[in-house]
Amino acid sequence: MAQLSGVAIPGLGQAAPTAASSAPAVAASVAVHELQANSEWRFEVAIGRSIEVKVLSGTAELFGTELALNHTYTFRGTKAAIFTWHGCRIEVTGACEEYTAEETPMVLYVNTHFALEKLRDDASKGKGESPRVLVVGPTNAGKTSLVKLLTAYAIRMGRQPMVINTDSREGLLSIPGSLTATPFASIIDVEQGWGSSPTSGPSPVPVKLPLCYYYGLPSPEDNTRLFKPVLTRMALAATSRLSDDQAIKDSGMIIDTPGVVSQGKGGYDLISHIVSEFSVNIILVLGSERLHSDMLRRFSGYRTTTGETITLVKLDKSGGCVDRDDEFMRQTREAAIREYFFGDPKRTLSPHTQQVNFDDATIYKIREANPMLASFLPGGEEDTELELYEKVEPSSMILNCILAVMYAALNDSQETIRDATVMGFVYVAEVDEKKRRMKILAPLNTRITDRPMIWGSWPEATMSLIG
Amino acid sequence: MADSHSSRLAYGSPSDEVAEDYRKALEDLTMNSRYEISNLTVIAKENTEHALAISEALKNHIKQTSPAKKLPAFYVLDSVVKNVGTPYTLFFGRQLYSTFMEAYALVDNNVRRKMDEMLKTWKEPVPGSIDTRPVFPPEVTRPIENALIKARTSAVQAHQEHLRSQQQLMGRGRPIASPAPYRNTPTPPGALRPQTQVPPGYASGYSQQQFPPPANGQQYSNQMNGHQQYGLPQQPPSQHYSQPSGSASSWQQPQMMGYRAPENSIDTLNSDIANLITASKAEFAQNPWDSSIQTRLKALLDLQTILSSQKLPPDQIALIKDQVAQLSEASQPQPRIQTPPAHPPPPAPVAAAPPPAQQPSLSSILGSGALAALLARQSATPQPTPPAQSVAPVRSPPQTRAQPSYNPLAPPASSSTPVPDPNSLLEKLRAAGMLPAVPAVPAATSTPPLPIGSLVGSVPPGFPPPFINTPPNATRTPLADVPNDVVLKPASLKIPRPHLISNLYERLGSPCTQCGRRFQSDDEGRKKKTAHMDWHFRVHQRMTEAEKRGQHRSWYVDELDWIKSREVEEDQNTSAADIAGGPGAAGSVTANEPKLQYLAVPDDPALANSICPICQEKFEMKWLDDAQEFVWMDARKIGDRIYHASCYAEATKDGGNSQVKRGTPEPILGKRKAEVSGIENRRL
Ligand SMILES: [Zn+2]
Ligand SMILES: [Zn+2]
Repeated sequence: MAQLSGVAIPGLGQAAPTAASSAPAVAASVAVHELQANSEWRFEVAIGRSIEVKVLSGTAELFGTELALNHTYTFRGTKAAIFTWHGCRIEVTGACEEYTAEETPMVLYVNTHFALEKLRDDASKGKGESPRVLVVGPTNAGKTSLVKLLTAYAIRMGRQPMVINTDSREGLLSIPGSLTATPFASIIDVEQGWGSSPTSGPSPVPVKLPLCYYYGLPSPEDNTRLFKPVLTRMALAATSRLSDDQAIKDSGMIIDTPGVVSQGKGGYDLISHIVSEFSVNIILVLGSERLHSDMLRRFSGYRTTTGETITLVKLDKSGGCVDRDDEFMRQTREAAIREYFFGDPKRTLSPHTQQVNFDDATIYKIREANPMLASFLPGGEEDTELELYEKVEPSSMILNCILAVMYAALNDSQETIRDATVMGFVYVAEVDEKKRRMKILAPLNTRITDRPMIWGSWPEATMSLIG
Repeated sequence: MADSHSSRLAYGSPSDEVAEDYRKALEDLTMNSRYEISNLTVIAKENTEHALAISEALKNHIKQTSPAKKLPAFYVLDSVVKNVGTPYTLFFGRQLYSTFMEAYALVDNNVRRKMDEMLKTWKEPVPGSIDTRPVFPPEVTRPIENALIKARTSAVQAHQEHLRSQQQLMGRGRPIASPAPYRNTPTPPGALRPQTQVPPGYASGYSQQQFPPPANGQQYSNQMNGHQQYGLPQQPPSQHYSQPSGSASSWQQPQMMGYRAPENSIDTLNSDIANLITASKAEFAQNPWDSSIQTRLKALLDLQTILSSQKLPPDQIALIKDQVAQLSEASQPQPRIQTPPAHPPPPAPVAAAPPPAQQPSLSSILGSGALAALLARQSATPQPTPPAQSVAPVRSPPQTRAQPSYNPLAPPASSSTPVPDPNSLLEKLRAAGMLPAVPAVPAATSTPPLPIGSLVGSVPPGFPPPFINTPPNATRTPLADVPNDVVLKPASLKIPRPHLISNLYERLGSPCTQCGRRFQSDDEGRKKKTAHMDWHFRVHQRMTEAEKRGQHRSWYVDELDWIKSREVEEDQNTSAADIAGGPGAAGSVTANEPKLQYLAVPDDPALANSICPICQEKFEMKWLDDAQEFVWMDARKIGDRIYHASCYAEATKDGGNSQVKRGTPEPILGKRKAEVSGIENRRL
């Protein structure tokens, strides 16, 4: 399985290649694939292109979510796979790279789901704790896909798992740079990554409600002094929700991680941090024997806050995992940002622009930890002299950057702002240094200057979102 | 996007546009979905100015669509003429003869019976209506009736031909036409009608129109013959599985069809079975009260019947062979302790006390699903009767039905077990993907036909319908019911467990045609499904409006609000019954529900933090799916301030205590009745 990525909105900005018409061209190629039971159809659709897929008969699922029969699904700019337990016939309109695989780790994965189900059943009867699952593994091992699969299976069985994203490289129901906690109680939007956060209008697939924090850097190791407390705060909120939301409590949590934490000592410390903050009791190691034995060493004999031991199991990586190159990832991030402001093909959103005077904006820029220092000091004990953020005045440097508007007051301390959740994101569309004002793109038309904004380096400055 | 057509069904568009949208909506109508039929009726009702265009679209659709989709389309026609009436009756009346007869010629007999019933209701006034005139005037319906009578006569002749050739084919000289063995059991002939062939029901109002089992067996068999085409000379007899017409056929078919077992392997099997029957009969004579022998004997006879009457694919033959081999082994002389029962079982199939529960049912020898599957195939050919003379009066235990309809994986048959595991064939069929794991109510027991209502909307196209019935009352299937031995250990995780997969499919019920989410087929599940379909409908409608109005991403919620928010289950309050009954349906669940007073959470962050001036508390925030936004419950804006509606009512005593909570302001949500139904939620 490969990971899903976001969506390009055709026609917005030069980065999006030629718009793919949503209606299939008359000459569009139509192919019908017969999939045997237990096989998987893997496909890649280039960014800016789309295909339509229809399940004609049988059963099919995409990352664990069952596809409806005879319903046309449109996939854009994505790498994904359709798996069938019973065999199926699918009709594909449009061009994509594709092949069918007979070998998949799906038996392992579905059994993992049923093992978790058993724990959930036990937990709701008062026997033990519900599963709090951490998925670790190197980059492009299929972690997010596994998280999504386990989430989708749990949803199908009436569960309400909480999904935690600790990977700021990619957003989950939010833009990159953010960390989110999201309860999933309704079907995952198969066409749209993880689906959509709430908008002011109706949604063809029920929206999800993420709680969003801002880290603003691509790797947790870039600034552990920022990453760890934000993560701790998110764990606190998630745990609070869990403790008085029975449905979620019974279902447990599934935590996605950035690949980088699985690559050595500094990363392992971050894994330990996540394990302890979220009281993780199950670790699924994807694809790496070495990581598995390192984890065994680290967590054997470990007890969670509730006194449980940690169950550690290694799962095979799917042959469908493909390396997603930097360019693909960059386009994916940009698509995620566009989607946040402008919506997706199913639903157009209309963001607002407003002029903001330099003097009215309160902007905190994230200091990146000194890489020299970071490599000498153990995690969490980096140079504590320096403040987390630097209060800055807007300049042309901020052009095309994303700012996170925080649920905090202007005069709050830096720690309070750090621990606050994100109200929303805005995009700096124009900067006029002479007139000392900037044009801001915001999802809706409300005043944003009465809240502090955080300026991170991730996601990186994006080419003009609006022409 | 496939769904977009629904949202374009806007009011006031030109006729051809409406017709086009209607046509597209009809194309998606692959089953008797009450929801879709209701919607199409509503649209017809709300667009009577385009009645001509709409009726033309429907007529053309009926003409052009595949036979499998004709019946649902007729239900639309039926619903429109009954619920809306003129001018549709006028427009449809014009060519009703050709619309009806052309379709009749192409559909199978089950659909024909539905059409017959429908025609019958057209000769009568709409039930409950003050209008005493028939739905269609006699001059419209009579020519159709006359044509049908002719057709039936020729079909009966064709059927007799068929039986004759059938008999020759079987070459056994057995009396064919005698329905005796089935008469000997409490199973009425009608119950033999395999559930497979029963299209899912439609609106509950139609359940009264379901057909009593035909009075005589012959006519019944005739109706079961799906090959006869109206007005055509008799078809050559076919022994094969009849492929349901239409493109939405089952994924089983590629496996089920076109294979022939080598004749000789069947011969061997037949003689094996014959030997077993002889042995079992002998055994039975010695131990007339041993129910397991009876059971085995009956199963063998059934098997013999099945094998003699149709061609099975080789893999099934192989499975049956295994089964027979095991039975042979088991029937080898084995020490049997004979305990005479206190009361011998009644010798005749009088209504007797149910046999002891431990007596395996007939179908449990083969696995109930397996037998049902075989019988379903049998339905494609006329029913040759089992050899009546040799059948001891064996009664299918009625409690078959009361047994949990899902047999958990039986313990693996160990070599020391004298009787083969009754479920192994079933399990093998399942493992082979031939059968989903949940058997329906076995077709060949004394079970009365399922109330049609329980099938409403539960059979998706492309599925073998009878097997996806799920155990009632299981909303969130507890896995505890299913043997689930998976633990998070590499060895355990590697073992394929096909029986568990059904927990993600059949056991969850039948899927929503729009999004694939599954719903149980019990009352609660159906209610949820209707509410869910209704939700799809409203979203599609509102999306157009929202698109025009412009919409935007909402701010994320604050930590505290998020911690307090809940993903609520929808059954708190549903509008299900409302729209489900369609226009004109009287009962409205929602009318009795208190309507909840709420306000959209203000976008303005300053207001968003406001508290109720009276009690100084914050507002309870909920996601209101109807409005697709966050709302504060029990909130009311008075001037610039927001109050708890209840606090405000208490403080001002304005016009009556609790009424304030009920009497909502004008519906924010739109004109459709069902939309005002209060809270639904995000789980939809
Ligand atoms: Zn749905
Ligand atoms: Zn109050």
